[in-house]
Amino acid sequence: TYLNDFWEKGRSDGEEQSGEQQQQRASPARPSFGKKQLPSIPKNAVPITKPASPAATAQLANGTHASYGPFYLEYSLLAEFTLVIKQKLPGIYVQPSYKSALMWFGVIFIRHGLYQDGVFKFTVYIPDNYPDGECPRVVFDIPVFHPLVDPVSGELDVRRAFTKWRRNHNHIWQVLMYARTVFYKINTMEPLNPEAAVLYDKDVQLFKSKVVDSVKLCNSHLFDQPKMDDPYAISFSSWNPAIHDEAKERMFSHKRRPEDHQKGLPVSGLSWVKPGSTQPFSKDDNPPLS
Amino acid sequence: MVANGNRDGRQGEALVLKGVDPETCMIVFKNHWAQVVKILEKHDPLRSNTSSNMASAVQNYVEHILFLLMEEDAGQAGAMGPILEFVVMENVMERLFLWSLRRQFTDDMKLEQLKMYEMIVGQARQPLLHHKPVLRPLMMLLSSCSGTAGPEVEAELVSLLNQLCCVLAKDQSVLELFFHTSEDQGAANFLIFSLLIPFIHREGLVGQQARDALLLIMSLSAENQRVAQHIAENTYFCPVLATGLSGLYSSLPTKLEVPGEEWHCLHREDWLQMPTLVQFLNSLEFCNAVIQVAHPNIRDQLVSYIYNGFLVPVLAPALHKPTLEEVMTTTAYLDLFVRSVSEPVLLQTFLSFILLHRHENVHILDTLVSRINTPFQLGTVSLALFQTLIGLYCEDVMLQLILRYLIPCNHMMLSQRRVVKERDFYSVSAAKILALTPSCCSPEHSPPPLRQLDSILWSKGTDNKTEETFLEEDGSGYSCVIGSEIYLDVNYLHYLYNARLGISSCTRACQVWSAPYDGEDPPPEEYQPSALEEAGARGRQAQKVNPKRSHPHPRPRPPCPPQTTDPAPTNQLELEWDDSYDAGPVVSPEAATAESSKPPQLPAAEPPKHIQEMRRTAIMLVKGSYIEESDFQDDVMVYDLVAKKDARDTVDRRRPSRETLPESEESEIDSEFNLEEDHFKESSLQEKDEVPLSNGLSLPLHPTNMEVNSSEVTKGSKEVKAHVADHNSNLQSPLAEVGDDLMGQYEELIRTLGSDEAGTGGSSPVKTVDKEFRNPVVTPMEEDEVDFSSFSMDTPELEKQHSSLFGTKLCSGSTRSHSVPFTGPFVSVLLSRLENMLDNSLHVNLLLTGILAQLAAYPQPLLQSFLLNTNMVFQPSVRSLYQVLASLKNQIEQQASTKKDFPKLITSAQHCLLARESSLKGQDTNSGDSRECSPLEAGRMMKSSPPPQPKTISLARTEVFATVLFTEFLKELAAIAQEHSILSHVPMEE
Repeated sequence: TYLNDFWEKGRSDGEEQSGEQQQQRASPARPSFGKKQLPSIPKNAVPITKPASPAATAQLANGTHASYGPFYLEYSLLAEFTLVIKQKLPGIYVQPSYKSALMWFGVIFIRHGLYQDGVFKFTVYIPDNYPDGECPRVVFDIPVFHPLVDPVSGELDVRRAFTKWRRNHNHIWQVLMYARTVFYKINTMEPLNPEAAVLYDKDVQLFKSKVVDSVKLCNSHLFDQPKMDDPYAISFSSWNPAIHDEAKERMFSHKRRPEDHQKGLPVSGLSWVKPGSTQPFSKDDNPPLS
Repeated sequence: MVANGNRDGRQGEALVLKGVDPETCMIVFKNHWAQVVKILEKHDPLRSNTSSNMASAVQNYVEHILFLLMEEDAGQAGAMGPILEFVVMENVMERLFLWSLRRQFTDDMKLEQLKMYEMIVGQARQPLLHHKPVLRPLMMLLSSCSGTAGPEVEAELVSLLNQLCCVLAKDQSVLELFFHTSEDQGAANFLIFSLLIPFIHREGLVGQQARDALLLIMSLSAENQRVAQHIAENTYFCPVLATGLSGLYSSLPTKLEVPGEEWHCLHREDWLQMPTLVQFLNSLEFCNAVIQVAHPNIRDQLVSYIYNGFLVPVLAPALHKPTLEEVMTTTAYLDLFVRSVSEPVLLQTFLSFILLHRHENVHILDTLVSRINTPFQLGTVSLALFQTLIGLYCEDVMLQLILRYLIPCNHMMLSQRRVVKERDFYSVSAAKILALTPSCCSPEHSPPPLRQLDSILWSKGTDNKTEETFLEEDGSGYSCVIGSEIYLDVNYLHYLYNARLGISSCTRACQVWSAPYDGEDPPPEEYQPSALEEAGARGRQAQKVNPKRSHPHPRPRPPCPPQTTDPAPTNQLELEWDDSYDAGPVVSPEAATAESSKPPQLPAAEPPKHIQEMRRTAIMLVKGSYIEESDFQDDVMVYDLVAKKDARDTVDRRRPSRETLPESEESEIDSEFNLEEDHFKESSLQEKDEVPLSNGLSLPLHPTNMEVNSSEVTKGSKEVKAHVADHNSNLQSPLAEVGDDLMGQYEELIRTLGSDEAGTGGSSPVKTVDKEFRNPVVTPMEEDEVDFSSFSMDTPELEKQHSSLFGTKLCSGSTRSHSVPFTGPFVSVLLSRLENMLDNSLHVNLLLTGILAQLAAYPQPLLQSFLLNTNMVFQPSVRSLYQVLASLKNQIEQQASTKKDFPKLITSAQHCLLARESSLKGQDTNSGDSRECSPLEAGRMMKSSPPPQPKTISLARTEVFATVLFTEFLKELAAIAQEHSILSHVPMEE
């Protein structure tokens, strides 16, 4: 449930004003606990070594880990998601699925270049032994015509960029960033779609026209039902003023809200420390001194 | 009697009057008045006895006259109605007043007149007070009532004053007239205000009405400079208010009847039963309200008087009374006061008193911190006070308590600085904390029925078929659904939820802070101890140059140089004493004895025999061998006296010549230092001079004709004097005056001696100091310094001292040698108490873990990394929370392995705690005082749990309860760590 609170926030943040509007299905009423599927337990998270301390004897008891493992994984993914939000990746929106924290739905808007105007939906699959497994996979709903995208499965070759997934160094936002980059900077080495690779190298004009067709095809399926039957799957619908006007309004007003908010809310914290000082009550404009 | 008629009758008449034309009314009015005048002229009360017949005749006429006046509507365009015009022309009101003045002006008379005015002011349809002939006699009446009068008159007077204030609040144009009229009379300006002052602290309706009325004027003052100025300069309002607090405080019980061992703070239901405390809180609340609405001039003055007239002279000595009980009581009061105050400016006053004020040259804060480690209620109550303080989300508090020790980042290895801001992506710290769960409490060991219901099945197939299809679709091994059933601790979800709430609100609150405290800002390099000292010294100098800066509030003053530099070798003894508490439960009495009989490493460190004796006693006490508190108190007092005597002896031994020197000689020797000291004296004198206000009131405040409980105030001040005298006779004060500015002064000295050496030593300032310490540049002052350093720096059992200290007086602040990383006395004391968790009573542990959880919820990376980051590498001498927890786990495992019935006991304790929680929850909903209940207890322990089984376990099995609590605390901390990993890193606007 925490996850989804977050993700809903992330989502509302990440909407963009394009011709189409994303439409979310109303989330179903969620039972308090127990309904949600949690991924299996990751391998023991072995802490980074630290010089001997009196506590060195304390071992990771398997018992506690079995009980709390799912929490660790959920929070790891949550942390990843907060990082994604923080990065504000241009044109990329992701949304974890309702059923699993390990599956994220996404959409990418290509704004210029060969794939300009392309809107590609994809799904991110995160291995359940995250962060100790392989890198997450990115699969496009419709196989885009691209040297690095499998023409059958739609899977993007992510692994070439993340040959070994390193905890603490690699993050999911980097995968998303990579998924965006491939559309601006074409690489034809060891392609998953040899046809596309060859065309790009030999006959760019034909390549371009194939890309245009592919983009058209993708966009023509934009309003299709989502591939996954998941309440949080991303689905598009045409502009409906009854629904979207208000949402748009809210999105625009949201930006202004933070300051208004701060004015109205009574601040519960206290400080009389002058910035740059570490002396208590050092502020010059302490109320009684004014 | 004049206006005694009842209102019902009038209303009847009002109906009759309706429709009667104004001319007729006027005629009737004139007629009646003529009759009255006739009587007044014929029967001058001074010359002849007025018969009661005459009086009642006048009364009858006046009743009618006033009634007609009240009922008259204003003329066109706000002009006076004809009757009012007549009243003004003929000076009706004044003549009536003078007539009753000439008769015997009894209380009854006054009552009559007051009621008469109350009636016409309240009910007239046109403004009457604008007219001097109405206002003047009213003012005369009011001032004639200002003397002594019966309770009835007082009540009526306050009621009328309240009414007048209401009129003022609505129509400020009257204000000018009130001033002018008073001037005419030559009496004090703004009479209605002055008349209200004596009732400020009154209990009951009269007091409430008076305070309400005064508040009206206060908010008037915010807009009206003249009113503000008048109140601040020409009235006793602020002094009366502040000293009133002192008076009321002195009537509070000096010793509280403590309902039970569990008690640790004054809850609403406690103080509601204490009328004196209710009265005090009423007045405090009034101060709070005044500060909220009044003009800044008044606000500042009041705050200053509260500081100088209540906190410093009354509360500070009260916090240092001789017995444990009294001190405990004062601490509980202080906690309640801090909780009762809401206005930031007033809160600041209390906080700067706690954080910066020095009593007998020891910071109040240090004293309070050191008391956390005392047994019995004092320790608990002190803990509760700190819980309150930490709950304020106040940067200044956190800075003084903890952050200033963490800023230099000396507590960690240099390489770790970059780790401070790192986020724990994979809940590594949480996992490590939870891995400390004792095996007897680990989830799978918990016997049903307790745990089963606490756990929940996270399994496959709880959803519908869509999920199946999804699984089929994605058969590539990326299934996120687990196949087997596992149990999860649902309880933990609650901890996560609470952690989320706690961290969010704390983070929001800390937005007003001046710095993020993330290991970069404030920059550790700039706030290395020496730099801090210099800054402090600069600050002090700046203040000396311009003492006005802090006028009129000596409160937020950076630490002042102490008046003498004598170190306090006595503190060593106190260290020893407190050490015994610290180690008490762990070390057996025999062991303690053995330890203390070891050959002394430092002559000064070896306590005399009787102290050792008492230490043993204390250990036994802690162990529960003694029950009677009174026994203990005697010991404490004996100890206190002995310690003081020893201290004096030590000093005598060390500085035989100096002690006998006359003052003047001494100052000559110390010329270098005294130069500065004189500065200080001067500045403090100046401050003293400034405290009296421009109106010439003196600070000690003798509001002679004001109705303050002056005897009580005097009593209070006598106590203070007695206390001071007591200390002086014991030579306590010069000894206690180590002060934390020693280092500062020392460095100042170094600067003057060889500025280049000190100036370049930015990277190794301590070394510089060190060198100076050893270089015998012989001035008396330095001789002292050497003494000081000899036991603060070179004591072999350094780490032990750090962890144990009662000697916070010594260790706190900058006095401490900075070559040894130290995270501050507060953290040290907390961890020490936590270390003894197995021997602590349940409620002590609840408070302790509550405070630590509260601290852990702070978002500042410095604090977070220190408390929660289990991967952080600290300096060897620094003890971390994780270390303490790990050692506790070992202790618990040991206990569990040696006691066969331990698992059973654990289960009973869990049930017992469940029952406790459900009863607490019930209480919570009853008393709406959310601040009073520790936030922890409400959210703590297993929720959504089965009705507790009535198995009983004695609370004396502290180790059992502590084990259960320990396990829960681990979850709480882990949950906080996990929430931090996601919350603290999300930009605020989200």
